Amino acid sequence: MNQKSLELLPGTLDTLILKALQRGPLHGYAIMQTIRAHSNEVLSVGESTLYPALQRLLLNGWVKAEWGASENNRRARFYTLTTAGRKRLTAERADLETMITAIRQVLETA
Amino acid sequence: MPKFFRRLDYFFHRDEIDAGLAEEMEFHRAMLAREFEGDRTAAARAWGNATLAREDARAVWLGPWLESFWRDFTYALRGLWRERGFTAVALSALAIAIGLNTALFTVFNAVALRPWPVAEPSRVVNVMRVLRNGPLAGEGEGFGVAEWRYLTAHSKSFSGLFLTRNGEPVRAAAGPMRLTWVTGNFFSVLGIEMVRGRGFLPEEDQPLAPLGVAVLSYDSWQNRFGGDPNIVGKSIRLDEIPFTVVGIAAPDFAGTNPERTDLWAPFSARRVLRPDDADVLPFLTDEHHCCSQMAGRLAPGYTGRQAAAEIQTLSAHLHTDKTLDNAAVVTAGTALLAALGPQNKSKVVPILAAMFVAITLVLLLACANVGNLLLARAAARRQEIAVRLSLGGSRARLVRQLLVESLTLACAAAVLGLLIAWKLPSAIVALMIPENGIAMTADWRVCAYTAGMAVIACLGFGLAPALQATRLRISGALQRDASLRFSRLPLRSVLLAAQVAISVVLLAGAGLLVRGLQHVQHQDPGFRIDTITVATLELPAAAYSGKLAEIFTGQLQSALAETQGLPPAGIAGDPPMGHSRSWTTMRLTGTPEGSERMVQIHQVSGGYFDVLGIQLLAGRNFTPADTGRRVVLINETCARRFFGARNPVGSTIESNANTWEVIGLVQDAYTTDLSVINPTIYWPVNGRFGVPLVLGRDFNPAARERLSAIVRSLESKARVSYAPLAENFRSLLEPARYAAAISGALGLLALILAGVGMSGVFAYMVRQRTREIGLRMALGAQPAQVVRLVLASHLHALAWGLAAGLAGAFAATRLLRSMMNGISPFDPAAYVAVFLLLIAAAAAASAVPARRAARVDPLTALRWE
Repeated sequence: MNQKSLELLPGTLDTLILKALQRGPLHGYAIMQTIRAHSNEVLSVGESTLYPALQRLLLNGWVKAEWGASENNRRARFYTLTTAGRKRLTAERADLETMITAIRQVLETA
Repeated sequence: MPKFFRRLDYFFHRDEIDAGLAEEMEFHRAMLAREFEGDRTAAARAWGNATLAREDARAVWLGPWLESFWRDFTYALRGLWRERGFTAVALSALAIAIGLNTALFTVFNAVALRPWPVAEPSRVVNVMRVLRNGPLAGEGEGFGVAEWRYLTAHSKSFSGLFLTRNGEPVRAAAGPMRLTWVTGNFFSVLGIEMVRGRGFLPEEDQPLAPLGVAVLSYDSWQNRFGGDPNIVGKSIRLDEIPFTVVGIAAPDFAGTNPERTDLWAPFSARRVLRPDDADVLPFLTDEHHCCSQMAGRLAPGYTGRQAAAEIQTLSAHLHTDKTLDNAAVVTAGTALLAALGPQNKSKVVPILAAMFVAITLVLLLACANVGNLLLARAAARRQEIAVRLSLGGSRARLVRQLLVESLTLACAAAVLGLLIAWKLPSAIVALMIPENGIAMTADWRVCAYTAGMAVIACLGFGLAPALQATRLRISGALQRDASLRFSRLPLRSVLLAAQVAISVVLLAGAGLLVRGLQHVQHQDPGFRIDTITVATLELPAAAYSGKLAEIFTGQLQSALAETQGLPPAGIAGDPPMGHSRSWTTMRLTGTPEGSERMVQIHQVSGGYFDVLGIQLLAGRNFTPADTGRRVVLINETCARRFFGARNPVGSTIESNANTWEVIGLVQDAYTTDLSVINPTIYWPVNGRFGVPLVLGRDFNPAARERLSAIVRSLESKARVSYAPLAENFRSLLEPARYAAAISGALGLLALILAGVGMSGVFAYMVRQRTREIGLRMALGAQPAQVVRLVLASHLHALAWGLAAGLAGAFAATRLLRSMMNGISPFDPAAYVAVFLLLIAAAAAASAVPARRAARVDPLTALRWE
């Protein structure tokens, strides 16, 4: 296990969560796992940032939450993308990509 | 907005949601632990501070919102403090309006909403018998003591039933006291707590073994007996008869009647108080005596409707003679208004409605006023607002901030208003209804109402200005001078017109009430008032009830007739324009039963008509020999209603289960009411209903002395007191006078508010158009023309307001007429006065701003930006 993981850039967590949910409902722990796995264990999402972020998404109506049974048959809360959330993801994703391209250009030119 | 509702949803379900969050995070931790396969330290490190994480997650919902609300609030406070002048005017206008509203609601609450202050008040109901048809249809009738005993023994739907009855005032060492008779279970059924001692015991209310016991009200214990801590067990004298005090009721329990009660005694104790009155025992034991108020506590599982049906059935069992088939038993709540019965309710409701309308108008006026001030203020702040909008502040956010400011203002006003409403209602009601026992305290309903008022007021005066202020186009407003084109929408004019209209309605209402009062005061009552003296005789009540009072009355009548040289004097059961009215039913002999109609009765001697100057039109007057005979005199209205154009003298009528001969016809006179003359029959006075009083004309001190001597010669312990009849007349007009005074005060308040509002509008207008005014002056306009310009700018608003107000006032007179006779909706004097007052107010309000406008220096004005 890679113990040396990076903290996320501020403002990107919400987008990553929305992206993680794009394929289907997940519970909090699975969201964390997904982001870690898809980033080759580079991006680590602390629980102290994950749950506030999820509340923020709920408050904005981008995700909704339902209780269900986890793979080991425990009660877990599954988050689903809403239509508003899907729109939000598209918009955020475009912004983020523009931003990353721009940052890379700046770094490479310098 | 959906965000707001999600926040609200969180707020109401936060325990549930927080528990879910905790469980979710617990699950997460368990999964982590599995991943680290028991390496607890690593798992804990991966987890971090669990509590902190949960707190952070929870704070997302309300934290920032509360924080920004708090920021808005402190910002609002700073802003209000900075503009103290504005704040003082707005705050006082709102506080007065909210205070008056709250005061009226306190009265309404006490009269219509609040049940008796007893244990579990929702289970306690009044039980009434309402007559279905006949001349008394709709009137409530009470129950008899014997009937109550039967109902108590057989009823299953009540866990306890009791009776109450207003007693006559009794004399005590500390002055007259008001007594209420109650059945022995009164305090235990209601669950009244006792400050000292206890309530009555069932064995203290036995008709055959009566005991002289009493429970004092807290107020009378404090005020009449100096709060004597050892009073329980002591003996007090009521009409010279010793009664033992067994308890003192809780301070908040003022009794179950609208009248004040000083003490309670068991029904049976009436035999102790009136030992010589042979009617008391039958009153307590005969099933045909009636008319005490019954109430009870419903047994668990029973509804009021079921209970009423049960009482109806039981009552039919008891009264096998079917005399009560005409009556329906109903139950009603114990709020004063519900217990009054439909007849009285219809009298009280329009008065309350009129006052609510008036006071709501004052609140609207204050809101319009403050709204206008806020508009002016928003205009002054439009640059600040424009800057914030252009820097990306959202409009919703700005509107919210402005509304928080309004809400802060409204809440402060509500607190001040509650202070105003703390003592005001009880003071006013005490003036209008003396000797009342209505508790006027601010309870949770009053506070909730005031809070609601504050929110409504806040939206009323704050929302429109906030919306308008944030609507401006940024590009325009940022240039300093884009002079106000943005507020072409005439909100300001509408508000101004509304203010004028509202104050016209209130002023016109006050004016019409005053005019009506004048009319009543100067109308001819149909009898002499100024020269008449009322002599009240006070005899030892125990000795003079029943038969003895009759004998005394006969002796007094003969003594007055025999005395030489005494100015004219007459005897009557009750004084003209007193507060008591007696009614009975009558029909002509020979007409079918059931055709009875209501008539008023007075008991008088022949001298009554001579003294008051009421003319005998036909037949003969009463003589002392008529006492005890079945003869009556009738007034003109009665003759018209029953006899038409025929001469009534010599005919017979059926009344009170007897046949009476009409021996004479007398002139109509407003002897009981100033607005209406009821059909009236006069009986020869006999003293059966209590000791009568003497009316004398031109009674100088010598004549008074002689009358007192005559009375004392008949009963040495008697006391006689004299008062002019004009006092009765005044007291009869008292409610109308207070109504006029209150509405006058409201009208004046409205005028002042409208004046302040108008002057604000004019001042603002002058400030807005300074440059234009300067230009005109530079081009040679005269100051007078400038003043005219200022006035003309809002002339259409004033005219519209005046027109709408007059129309409203005209409609309002309908309501007022139901309260007071003599009010005419076409009273030109009242309208002209209102019109002139408003014009004067408008002129005064425009004076200062107009003068400022006229003094504008053209050069300064042209440089003005």
